[in-house]
Amino acid sequence: MKLLIIEDEQGLRENMEQYFTEEGIICESCTNLQTAINKTSLYQYDCILLDIGLPDGEGFTLLEHLKLTGKNECVLIISARNSLDNKIKGLNLGADDYLTKPFHLAELKARVAAIFRRKAFNTNSILNYDGINVNLLAREVEVKGSQIILTRKEYDMLLYFIANKGKVISKNAIAEHLWGDEIDLVDSFDFIYTHIKNIRKKLMDAAHKDYIKSVYGVGYKFL
Amino acid sequence: MLVTLCVLLVAGIVYYIAIGYIANNQLDTSLTDEIEEVTAYVNLNQRLPRPIDFDEDQTSFIKTGQKTIPRIFFDTLYHNPREKNTEAGRAVEGLITLKGENYKVIVTESKEATEYLTQLITGITLALTALLLGILTITNRYILGGLWKPFYHNLQQLKAFNIAGADSLDLKETNIDEFEELNSAMLTMSSRVKNEYQNLKTFTENASHEMMTPIAVITSKLDTLIQDETLRPEQYAQINDIYTATNKLARLNQSLLLLVKIENDLVQDNYVLSLKEIIEEKLHQFHELIQSKHIGVIYTLADKEITASKYLVDILINNLFSNAIKHNNVYGTIRISLSGNILVFQNTGDEGPLNGGEIFERFKKSKTSEGTGLGLTIVKNICSQYNFKLSYYFEDPLHTFQIEF
Repeated sequence: MKLLIIEDEQGLRENMEQYFTEEGIICESCTNLQTAINKTSLYQYDCILLDIGLPDGEGFTLLEHLKLTGKNECVLIISARNSLDNKIKGLNLGADDYLTKPFHLAELKARVAAIFRRKAFNTNSILNYDGINVNLLAREVEVKGSQIILTRKEYDMLLYFIANKGKVISKNAIAEHLWGDEIDLVDSFDFIYTHIKNIRKKLMDAAHKDYIKSVYGVGYKFL
Repeated sequence: MLVTLCVLLVAGIVYYIAIGYIANNQLDTSLTDEIEEVTAYVNLNQRLPRPIDFDEDQTSFIKTGQKTIPRIFFDTLYHNPREKNTEAGRAVEGLITLKGENYKVIVTESKEATEYLTQLITGITLALTALLLGILTITNRYILGGLWKPFYHNLQQLKAFNIAGADSLDLKETNIDEFEELNSAMLTMSSRVKNEYQNLKTFTENASHEMMTPIAVITSKLDTLIQDETLRPEQYAQINDIYTATNKLARLNQSLLLLVKIENDLVQDNYVLSLKEIIEEKLHQFHELIQSKHIGVIYTLADKEITASKYLVDILINNLFSNAIKHNNVYGTIRISLSGNILVFQNTGDEGPLNGGEIFERFKKSKTSEGTGLGLTIVKNICSQYNFKLSYYFEDPLHTFQIEF
């Protein structure tokens, strides 16, 4: 998968690149609109992460450009403005999703994976990961041949983990993913622990393997 | 008006007295002349004149033993011999000596003429007063009323002036320089105030937005940092604290931005929404959070449709739910009832009522609360945006938030 990150904030851009770079993903990045337009004209990307507030213009211009040149890359907008109008404008211009700053890298990755899956839906609706088969259409999960029943939140969490496999995901990121950032969360993260415990047990029973590793009090890692 | 009336009344009285005084004076002079004449006559003819000799005046002579009589003037009655009636008169007393005998002479003159004059003048004065009053009333009511009309209109505009509103002052133009000057001063002032306010709001909004990017950098750095599994548990604990603080900062910022948005009336995607469905959806969403505190939820929901922004109503219900969960006890209760036009959220929690006036204010929160202190302020602002009536009361042991649509 080839990814283009358009973000002018150096710190953020580097971390995004670092987080996404792994086997099978090639990351490229640029810092302004003009370079982005040049790059997208020259090369084909699978997914573009687009910041709206760029030094030489708004990211919407790139969306218009892509639409005009008939390209159909997946685009995920990253914006500091949590405005409904911007969201609607972006989506109308052909963006696939809209993420507001600040966000967790795990959330970004899960969103990219979801967009990518949606685009590739026609060809493949089964997600495989180390013995786990997820039927995305039926929302069913099979582990080592036997079906396991997950609640809606557990299913969401499993997809989230698979998208961020091998990474340590903070409890904050998980909570925000499951309940959205509009909810002022209760101080303790006990309820996440309960969820993790349940999903871990269900996977263990079916696969006899512990997929989820707890990382000190900070978060979890899916292996 | 009253002042005018008083002044006129006083002027009338003064006028009346003055005219009376002048008339008396004149009569007295004339009477003095008469008595001089009588004395001259007596001295010349050495006899008393007959009463008719002195045209209209009546003269009477009374023999007296007094040696001196001071000349005094006094008001008396005058018998008009022709009209056979009695009128007001003025008389003078004097002493005449005739052939060694003293006579007291009284000359009486009718005051009717002067009385008539006084009455006439008083009448004219009264008529003028009445006329003046009439004219004053009319001018006040119609002409001055019309004159002040723009002023009152503008005053009304000024009273209704809303600094956050979109409308500027709609001032009536007048021909009066002073009013025109006032108008232009008011317009300048209002536009300047609005401008400043707008700048302040834009500043708040921009500042909050600008802060989002650095927060995003911190978050992404932390997300990257925890990938390093050579860190020690204490370091992870530190990172956890930074996560919590950053999270709170982001939430605070988002809440402030949301408040600015609501106050600026920027959220306007109004649709007809089923409140029942939204609450049921939220019940589902908050299910795990409610369970983790072993809270029992009792709810009765009737169908109710409102026209509002889905975005804001979601936040409204979210905040009511998180509030009811956050401040609840373990094994506590939440009661939700939606019936007719009234939505009620009740929850157990700290004992005793909260300060109903304070809880909706910004950054007012209980000492133990980890929230932003903006949740209920947002609830309040969303309610006032749609003219919903929000109230808090304590119904032992339930803290109750009621919204009337």
